[in-house]
Amino acid sequence: MRPGVEITSERNVPKPGMTWRSGAGPILLLGALALLVMAEPAFAQVPAGRDYGDFPVIGGRAAVWIAAQVHLLFAAFVLGVPMFAVVTEAIGMFGGDERYDKLSKEFTRLLLVAYSATAIWGGILLFLLVTIYPTLFSYLAQIFNLSMWIYVGLFFFESFTLYLYYYGWDRWKKGRAKWFHWGLGIALNVWGTIVMFIANGWLTYMMSPPADVTVDTAPQMVQLWSALTNATWMPINIHRLIANVVFGGAVVGAYAAYRFLAAKSDEERAHYDWMGYVGNMIAIGALIVLPFAGYWLGREIYEFNQQMGITMMGGFMSWLWIIQAFLIGVLFLAGNYYLWVGMGRIPGAERFMPYTKYMLAVLIVGVIVWATPNTMIASREEFAAMGGTHHPFLSVLGLMSGKNTAVNFMILTTFLSFLLYRRANKEPVVPWARTGTIVQGAIFVVASAIVLFYGIYGYMVPTIVRIGFSVYQVLTVLACIIGVITIDLLMLRGATSRGEIQWGRMPERSQYALFILAVTFTWLMGLMGFARSGIRQHWHVFEVIRDTSPWAATPALGYSSVVISACVLIFFGLVAFIFWLGSLAEKPVISSVGQASAAGGIQSELQPAPSEG
Amino acid sequence: MNTKPWKHPLGQAAIVVVLAYLLFEWGIWLLPPLFGVASAPVPATVVLQYMGTVVVGVLIWVSDSEERWKQFKAPIHRVMVDPRQKVLRTALMVTIPLLVAFMTFDRVRPTVSAPAALRSVHPAPPGQIDFRGETMVLNGLENPLRHEGDLEAHYEEGKRIYVQNCMPCHGDALDGQGHFASAFNPAPLSFQDPGTIVQLTESFVFWRIAKGGPGLPREATPWDSAMPAWEDLLTAEEIWQVTIYLYEQTGWEPRTWEEEGAEGEEH
Amino acid sequence: MLKTNLSILAVVIGCLGVFTWVANAIPQIQSDVPEDLVLSDDVSPEELIAAGEELYNGGGGCTACHGLGERAPNLLTDHAGTGLIGERCANRVAGEDCKQYLHTSMVDPNAYLVEGFAPIMLDASRTLSSVQIWALVAYLQSLGGEVTVTGADFADDGGAAAAGGVVASAPAAPVLGPTGPLDPEELLTRHTCATCHAVTGQSPLGPSYEGMGSRLTADEIRTSILDPTASAAEGFEEMLGIMPPIFGNIPAAELEAIVQFIASQR
Repeated sequence: MRPGVEITSERNVPKPGMTWRSGAGPILLLGALALLVMAEPAFAQVPAGRDYGDFPVIGGRAAVWIAAQVHLLFAAFVLGVPMFAVVTEAIGMFGGDERYDKLSKEFTRLLLVAYSATAIWGGILLFLLVTIYPTLFSYLAQIFNLSMWIYVGLFFFESFTLYLYYYGWDRWKKGRAKWFHWGLGIALNVWGTIVMFIANGWLTYMMSPPADVTVDTAPQMVQLWSALTNATWMPINIHRLIANVVFGGAVVGAYAAYRFLAAKSDEERAHYDWMGYVGNMIAIGALIVLPFAGYWLGREIYEFNQQMGITMMGGFMSWLWIIQAFLIGVLFLAGNYYLWVGMGRIPGAERFMPYTKYMLAVLIVGVIVWATPNTMIASREEFAAMGGTHHPFLSVLGLMSGKNTAVNFMILTTFLSFLLYRRANKEPVVPWARTGTIVQGAIFVVASAIVLFYGIYGYMVPTIVRIGFSVYQVLTVLACIIGVITIDLLMLRGATSRGEIQWGRMPERSQYALFILAVTFTWLMGLMGFARSGIRQHWHVFEVIRDTSPWAATPALGYSSVVISACVLIFFGLVAFIFWLGSLAEKPVISSVGQASAAGGIQSELQPAPSEG
Repeated sequence: MNTKPWKHPLGQAAIVVVLAYLLFEWGIWLLPPLFGVASAPVPATVVLQYMGTVVVGVLIWVSDSEERWKQFKAPIHRVMVDPRQKVLRTALMVTIPLLVAFMTFDRVRPTVSAPAALRSVHPAPPGQIDFRGETMVLNGLENPLRHEGDLEAHYEEGKRIYVQNCMPCHGDALDGQGHFASAFNPAPLSFQDPGTIVQLTESFVFWRIAKGGPGLPREATPWDSAMPAWEDLLTAEEIWQVTIYLYEQTGWEPRTWEEEGAEGEEH
Repeated sequence: MLKTNLSILAVVIGCLGVFTWVANAIPQIQSDVPEDLVLSDDVSPEELIAAGEELYNGGGGCTACHGLGERAPNLLTDHAGTGLIGERCANRVAGEDCKQYLHTSMVDPNAYLVEGFAPIMLDASRTLSSVQIWALVAYLQSLGGEVTVTGADFADDGGAAAAGGVVASAPAAPVLGPTGPLDPEELLTRHTCATCHAVTGQSPLGPSYEGMGSRLTADEIRTSILDPTASAAEGFEEMLGIMPPIFGNIPAAELEAIVQFIASQR
C-alpha cells in the first residue's frame, strides 16, 4: 500500500539538482511540495482548457459508454461463469457424476471465446478513453498507475490459467491430477476477482473519492490505497460478484436454449434442456440475494453523500426505479413461467399444476402494486379529476410499504414455485412427512402474515420507522426460505420417485422465456450501470473534477435506454457469432455423450440424481 | 366446441381481461367511495400499464400447460383456416386493423388541453409589484382602508364591485360556483374554502386581483387561469374594498404580518 | 433453422423494443449542468433573482429536497405557518439578518438546523461558486422579502475575502480543504512572510505568530496583512511602515489559509 505512494512521488520529482537520492524523507517531501507549488496553478487552469476528443455521429460520450458497457457485459460473463464452473466441476468430482464434469467443461469452452472478446473491448475502451477523455485519463493514471500495472499482470496470469484449465481438462482428468486441475479453476477465480476489485477501485473512486480529496488536490498527492478502498468500493465488489453469477447463469441459459432449439437429436435436446435448467436455477438463486448487496450499496452511497443518494432515489432518477420494477417484474414472471412449463416434463407434477394459477395471481398483483407510480402521468383533465398528481386511492400502493410487501410476496411465491418443482416427482418416505409438510405450510403462512402485517403497519408510522420495517420483512422471507429448505432437504432424503424427469420434453416456448430472462438481465445491468455512473451528474470525479465536455449533462432515460439497447444488441450479436464460430470449429460436446449412450443408455445417464434440485 | 365459453381457456382468458378492465377503469374509481374511501378515475397511462400486466399474466396462464395451450389455440386456429369460418375471419381481418387504426388516430389527434405540469395553487408573491406605474411593496403591506373611512361603506362598495365583476365566476355565495365556473380549468377558487383566503394576507389577495392569471409566477404555470388582471379596470381603492367584502362576507380573518413574525420567533 | 433463428431474433428485438419504449414513455428528465455565472459588481437585483431562480429550479439541484417533499423545509411556500422564506429568514436567528442567515445556511448548513429536520444538507460551496450562492440568496430573499444582496457581496469573486464579515463568520469558507495542498506553513514561506515572522519563538524582524490568534481576530489579521500601516503590534510601533503593502495580490484562498492559520496560533 505504502509503496504505491512512494513510487507516485518519486516518479514525479524532477530529477536534476534535487538531493532526494540522499534518501532523506523530509527532502523528498519538500521536493514533492515544490513540484506541487509549480504544478498547482497549472492544474487550476486545466478546467478552462481541458480538451476532449470527439467521435463521429454518436458523440464521444456515447462511444465510451457503449465500449465500457459491452466490455463490462463480457467481463461479467467471464467472471461469473468460472465461479459456477468450478462448483459444477466439484459436484462432478465428489458426486462421481460425469455429467457435471462435462457441463463444467462446456461452460469453460464458452468462457474461452468470450475471454478474447472481453480483452478486445477492454482495448477499445482504453483507446477511446485516451483519445476522447485524455485529461481525465491522465489524471486517473497518475493516481492509479501502480494498480494499472498490477491489473495488466493479473490479466496475463488469468488468461494463461484459463488456457491451462480448458486445454488440460482431459489430460488431468483422474486422481491427483484432477485436484490440480480443480486448483487451476480456483486460481482462475482468484485472479478474476482481484482484477475486478482493482477495476472497481478506479470507477468507485470517480463516484466517491475519499473525503480529503478536493478540487485543489493534485493527483500525485492522492494515496493509492485510500483511493482504491473508497466508500463504495466494497459494496460494489460484493454486488458485482453476485450479479456476475446471475448474469453468467442467464447467458448460459440462453446459450442452452439456443442449442436446444437447434438440436437435431433427442439426446442433444435432453442435454441442453438440463443445461438451460441449471443456468436458470443459478441465475434466479443468486438473484434472490442480490437485493441485500444492493441495499448495502445504496446505504453507503447515502452515507457518502446524502445529495447523491437523493439524486439517485428521489431526484431526476426516480423514474428509473419504476423501469427497474418493470424489468424485475418481467424476470419474476419469466422465471416462474419457465418452472411451470417445466413441470410438464415431470411425472407427478400434475398434482401441483392447479395451484400455479393462484401463484400467478399473486405475482400479477405483486407486479401491479410494485410498478404503480406514486406520481402519475396524466392529462390535465385526469389531474383535475384526481385533484392533484397523486391518485387518492392508488397512491397508497405507490408508497414504499406497499412496494416492499409486494416484492416480498413475489419472492415467496417464486420460492414456492421452486419448491413444488423440486417436490414434483418425489414421494417422501420419512414417517413425519405429513407433519413436515404442514410445518412448511405453517412457516409460509406465518411469513406471509408477518410481511403483510409490517406492510400495513408501515402506513401508520412515520417514515423513519417505516424504513426499518423493510429489513424485518426481508429477514422474515429469508428465514422462511432457510427454514423450509432445511425441512425439505431432511424430508426428501431417500424419497421414492414417481418417475424420472423427462429431459428434453420441453415445449419450445419455454426456451424463449430463457431468452427473455437473459435479455432482461443484460438490459437491467445496463440500466443499473447508467444509474451508478449517472449519479455523479456533471462530475468526472465527484466534486473533484468537473465534466466540462459538451456531454456533461446527464441524459434522460429515453436516450439512455436507446444506448443500453444498442449495447445489449452488440453484446448478443457478438455472443451469437462467437458461439456459432465455436460450433463450426468443434464437434458438439454432446457427440461423445451420444456414443456413450450406445453402451450405457443415454436416458439414465442424463437424469439427475434424485438429490439434485 | 361443446364446452361452455366460460369453461374454455379462450373464453376464460377473455372474461379475465374484460373483468380486469372493468375493475381498473371503473372499479377503482367507484368501489372505494362505497366504503367511505376517497377515489378518482385512474389515469389512462396507469390503466394501460395494469392491462399490459394482466394480459401478460393471462398469456402465461394459458400457455403454462401444454394441454391448455392447445385448447386455447384451437378456436383461433380454426377461425384462421376453417373454410366455414370465412365470414368471421373476414370480419376480424377488417375490424382488427380498423380498431388499431382508430386507436392510433385517437392517440395522435390534436386536442386543446394544455400539457400536464405540476401546479402550485398559492405561489410565492413578489416582494413588490408595479401598480399603474407606482411601485407597491407587498411585504408588510396592510389594507389601508381598515384604518380610514367607514368600514361599513367600504363593505357596501366592495359588495357592489364583487357583484358587478366577480360573481359570474366566483358565485354569489363566494363558493366558486358562479355561472361560468364549470367552463374553467382550473376552476375559480371558493373563498369559503378554509384553504384559500384565510391562509393569505390581504396584500396577497390584492396582488392576485391586480395581476390575475397573466401575472402568475412560474411555479403556478401553466398560465391558463382565466382570472383577468383587474389593475386596468379597478382602482387600488376598489380592489381594497372588494378585499374587505371577501373577508367580511365569508367571516374569515385575514392573515396579518405581526402574527407571522411572532410565529417565526418560535422556531 | 432459419425460422428458429428469426423467431429468436424477434424475441430479443421485441424485448429490447418494449424496454426502450417504456423508458421513452415516462417523463424525460435530464440533469443539467449548473452554468458558470458571471455577474458584474453593479448587477441589478432582478438579474440576481433571475439567475438564482434558474439555479434553484435547475442545475443547483435545490428542488430535490427543498421542493414540496418532507426532506427539508419548503422554501417556495409557507413553512409551518412562519411565512415565506423571504419573510421568515430575518427572524430565524437573533443577530443575523436575512441575508447573513441565508448565506450561512448555505455554506454551513448545520449551523442553524431547522427544527424537525435531519442534518443532511451539504456545504453548497462544494458545488456552487460564490456568485451562484449569492444569487440563490437573492432569489430566496425575493420570495416575500426585500433583496439586499448586491454586487459588493461577491465583488472580489472567489468571494471569500471580499464579503468580509459574512463569509469570515462561516467556518467552511470555500476551497479550504483541511488537508488540501494549501499548506499554510508552505504558503508563509512562498509569500515571504517567514522572512520576517517566525511561527514560534523569536522573529527575525516583525512580531512572532506565536499567540497572535489570542490577541487578534481573523478580521484584524487580514486587515493587518492587506494594510500593514493600519496598526502596529505592541512593542513594534517603531517598525510601522517597514512591512510593505504588497500582500493584496495573494490569491484569496491562500490568503484565507494564512489568516486562519495565524488566527489558530494561540
